[in-house]
Amino acid sequence: MQHQLLAQPAMSIAKLTLQAGESVTCEVGAMIAMSSGFTVETTSRNRGGGGGLAKGLKRMFAGENFFLNHFTATAPNQTLWIGPGLLGDVMHYPLSGGTLIVQGSSWLASDVGIEIDATWQGLGKALFSGEGMFWVKCSGRGDLFLNSFGAIYPVEVNGEYVVDTGHIVAFEDTLNFKIGKAGSSLIGSVLGGEGLVCKFSGQGKLYCQSHNPPSFGQLLGPKLKAR
Amino acid sequence: MIEIACPNCQKRYRLDDKFAGKKAKCKQCGAVLVIKAPTAGSTKPANPTPPNQAAAPADRVAKPNAKSRAAAIPPVVPVELVSPVQPAAPDHSDADIPTATAIPTATEIPTAIPVSDDPFAEIPFAEVVPSATPQAFVDPNLPRQRTPSPGNAASPGVSETLRGTTGHMKYEISQRPDFSIVKIDLPQGGKVYAEPSAMVSMTPTMHLEAGFKGGLGKTFGRLLGGESLIINTFTAQDGPGEVMFAGGAAGDVAYHRLNGNSLYLQRGAYMFNSEGVEVSGKWQGAKGFFSGEGLVLLKASGTGDIFFNSYGAIIPIDVTEGFMVDTGYIVAFEESLQYRVTVLPGLRTAGKIKSFFFGGEGLVCQFAGSGRVWIQTRQVKSFLAWVNAFRPTKSN
Repeated sequence: MQHQLLAQPAMSIAKLTLQAGESVTCEVGAMIAMSSGFTVETTSRNRGGGGGLAKGLKRMFAGENFFLNHFTATAPNQTLWIGPGLLGDVMHYPLSGGTLIVQGSSWLASDVGIEIDATWQGLGKALFSGEGMFWVKCSGRGDLFLNSFGAIYPVEVNGEYVVDTGHIVAFEDTLNFKIGKAGSSLIGSVLGGEGLVCKFSGQGKLYCQSHNPPSFGQLLGPKLKAR
Repeated sequence: MIEIACPNCQKRYRLDDKFAGKKAKCKQCGAVLVIKAPTAGSTKPANPTPPNQAAAPADRVAKPNAKSRAAAIPPVVPVELVSPVQPAAPDHSDADIPTATAIPTATEIPTAIPVSDDPFAEIPFAEVVPSATPQAFVDPNLPRQRTPSPGNAASPGVSETLRGTTGHMKYEISQRPDFSIVKIDLPQGGKVYAEPSAMVSMTPTMHLEAGFKGGLGKTFGRLLGGESLIINTFTAQDGPGEVMFAGGAAGDVAYHRLNGNSLYLQRGAYMFNSEGVEVSGKWQGAKGFFSGEGLVLLKASGTGDIFFNSYGAIIPIDVTEGFMVDTGYIVAFEESLQYRVTVLPGLRTAGKIKSFFFGGEGLVCQFAGSGRVWIQTRQVKSFLAWVNAFRPTKSN
């Protein structure tokens, strides 16, 4: 599978070129356009893998759709165009045996060689991290495509690093994070507008997004007519 | 012995071979260094040179906060600089290693901004990082494919400025794809017809006249097609004139030259056209109904220029052997293509209707024949659906 990322970072779209027999698993609704030589299959599990209903349900809690779409090319050089719904970037991450923990709604597509599973990060994180209840755990080998709201920037964490809630896209599982205060006192943190933050520790890669959807939504919401 | 340079502050270190493959913290700035095993006879730096130091004189590089967390963020590396020294490049034989990267004498970079009596005199201007395309942060450790052009020789890059001269005007579409704006230069007496509110600015030589155009049937057709009843006519009456046009939403603009053939435009995509082009609504029957994007497509035909816009970037795709586009992402397509609206094929036949209901993709437009389709990378509908969740609810 070859890929090309275009119109970055605000209007990003990924063009995937697949050869006959290759297939890719996408978030439902991610497909924008495609060649005619694809078969499309909608299931609640990884292609060829286990999972089924339980995993589908867990994914649903992770902010992902219950179903997954599998696109399999039946002819050479078939193109598939995928993109996220909101303005933002698309990122390619080549997974080579490691594990990447992806924020629920940031997963866009992955190679069939990648196992996608929702993972529970604990009650405190679920309530206060500003992200979904579950995270998507991606492991195996292959290409992984993530999307963000705003631009994505990578951070090489060695030791500790602090990210505001709602800005995490993904992180390598060699990192751990816990919820903490931004300042030395809770009141100071809240007054400072930062409230609670995610504190990472360990060594590994972390990907953050420049903007966070709830902040933008809360900015727009009160200006709109009531439902 | 391994020799490495800090990717952030260029401080050089010599380390024992046993540290190969490990990571270390730079003593000077705290950035993380990846210690690469020495390749035979090579002393290649572990990371490409950051552009801010490659491009700017060292004394202008302000690093007042080297200890802050910003230091851990890899710098923005423009595309041109990454590719030749891609660390993951598998094919560097000894012959490929440029001699220029041999370790120079360790030079200390001044870490403070020069201070002057006049507080404003020494503030350096914000540096513009050169980049071929406006892109997000590039991670130098990932082998990302960064090609600005969609790989089709006929279609220009997504963020390139488009320029051209036609029989009617000179045009330039810049600020693509996020905030595209079209500048046109008209000779004296030249005319364009535009959707109301598309005009951004113009020279005083231009005269604007609003009115119905093309008779009642065509006017009504445009209304059904999601466009206004009124079409504004811009005439360069008092000499050559210039007009700037932009779409309502942040997004892209595309140009197409009609040579007696026709183009179908999705609802709301029409911007303006030159003389010789006729724009009308066209009843699409059930096909249009199922497209979910309105009953009527606009049809532009004749000989002349037409400009249309979108929310998101516009990507032209030349269809030769069948293509499918989610109905919400079609901007325009040539009449030479046959089309029909259907659910994702291959699923109905096996009785798997669920992809229609749960697959999200729902309806696609299936094209056959040969011709060009323009797709947009985002749709307003998705944004509206998302923002709707943030609307306040009525308290009663």
